[in-house]
Amino acid sequence: MADRTAHVTWTGSLMEGAGRITSVESGAFGPLDVTWASRTEDSDGLTSPEELIAAAHAACFSMALSHGLAEAGTPPERLDVDATVTFVPGTGITKSALVVRAVVPGIEEPAFLHAAQAAKESCPVSAALASVPEISLEASLS
Amino acid sequence: MPRIVREAEIDWEGTTARGSGVVRAASTGSFELSATIASRVEIVEGKTSPEELLAAAHATCFVTSLGSELARMGAPPERMHVRCTITMDEVEGGHHRIVASDISARAVVPEADAETLAAAAQAADEGCPFSALIRASAMVTVEATLDEGGS
Repeated sequence: MADRTAHVTWTGSLMEGAGRITSVESGAFGPLDVTWASRTEDSDGLTSPEELIAAAHAACFSMALSHGLAEAGTPPERLDVDATVTFVPGTGITKSALVVRAVVPGIEEPAFLHAAQAAKESCPVSAALASVPEISLEASLS
Repeated sequence: MPRIVREAEIDWEGTTARGSGVVRAASTGSFELSATIASRVEIVEGKTSPEELLAAAHATCFVTSLGSELARMGAPPERMHVRCTITMDEVEGGHHRIVASDISARAVVPEADAETLAAAAQAADEGCPFSALIRASAMVTVEATLDEGGS
C-alpha cells in the first residue's frame, strides 16, 4: 500500500482569492500557486488540478509501459510521454490524451502497440479516470 | 466557458524497476519533478509519484469547490486549508488500484456554523469534477472543521 498526502491553502473568494499547494509529503514540490483564472483562462505560469492530473497520468502510464515492455523481454531505452487533460467548467474533465514516442531496441511495431494499449488499460491512474468520456492513445516508435 | 486544456509530459529512461523519469508541467512550466518506481511504492526520497500528483490535484479541486459553495450560501471563507491523502493498494488479481482519497478541510468562515460548513463540504464533494471522476476506483471521504479566525 502507498499513501501520499498534499496540502492546499486558499484565501478569499473563488474568483478574487488565491490558493497555494503548500506542501506534499515527499517534499518534491511546492509551494505552487493556483487561481481560478489560471485554471480556466490563461495559465500565466500557474498550475491547476487538471495539469497535475495530466502529470499523474503521464507518469503512471510511462511506468506501466516500461514495466510491460521489460516483462515481454524488450525493455525500453527511453519513453517520451505527453498527457493532455481537457476540463470543461460546468461539465467536468472530458478527456485525457496520451501520446508516447518510444525507443525500444528489438521490438516489432505490433508488439509495441499492444504493450502501449495494455499499459493504458492497466495503469492505476487510467483506472481511477475510467469515467472520463475519452482516454486516447497515440503510440509510435522512434 | 471554453474548453480548458492542460498538458504535462514525462521522459522516462530505462526500465520501470531501475529507470527514472522527469515529469514537467508542459502548459505552464510551473513544475519539473523526478519520479521513480521506488518513490511510488516505497521510499519517498524527495521524489514525487502519480498518487502524490493526484493528491495535489484533488486538494486543489476540492478547495475551489468548497470556496464557491460557501460563497453561494452567503458565508464566504476567509481562509481554507485542505489535506488530501491518496491510497493505492493491491486488489484482487494482483493489480494496483487507487482505492481511497481522504479529504480533510479546516476553514475560517466568519458567517458559518458547523452545520453550514458540513453542508458546503458535502456539496463541494458532489461538485468537484475530480471527486466525481475518482469514484470510478476509489472511496472518497470528506471531513470539514471550522477554525477560529486570525490564524
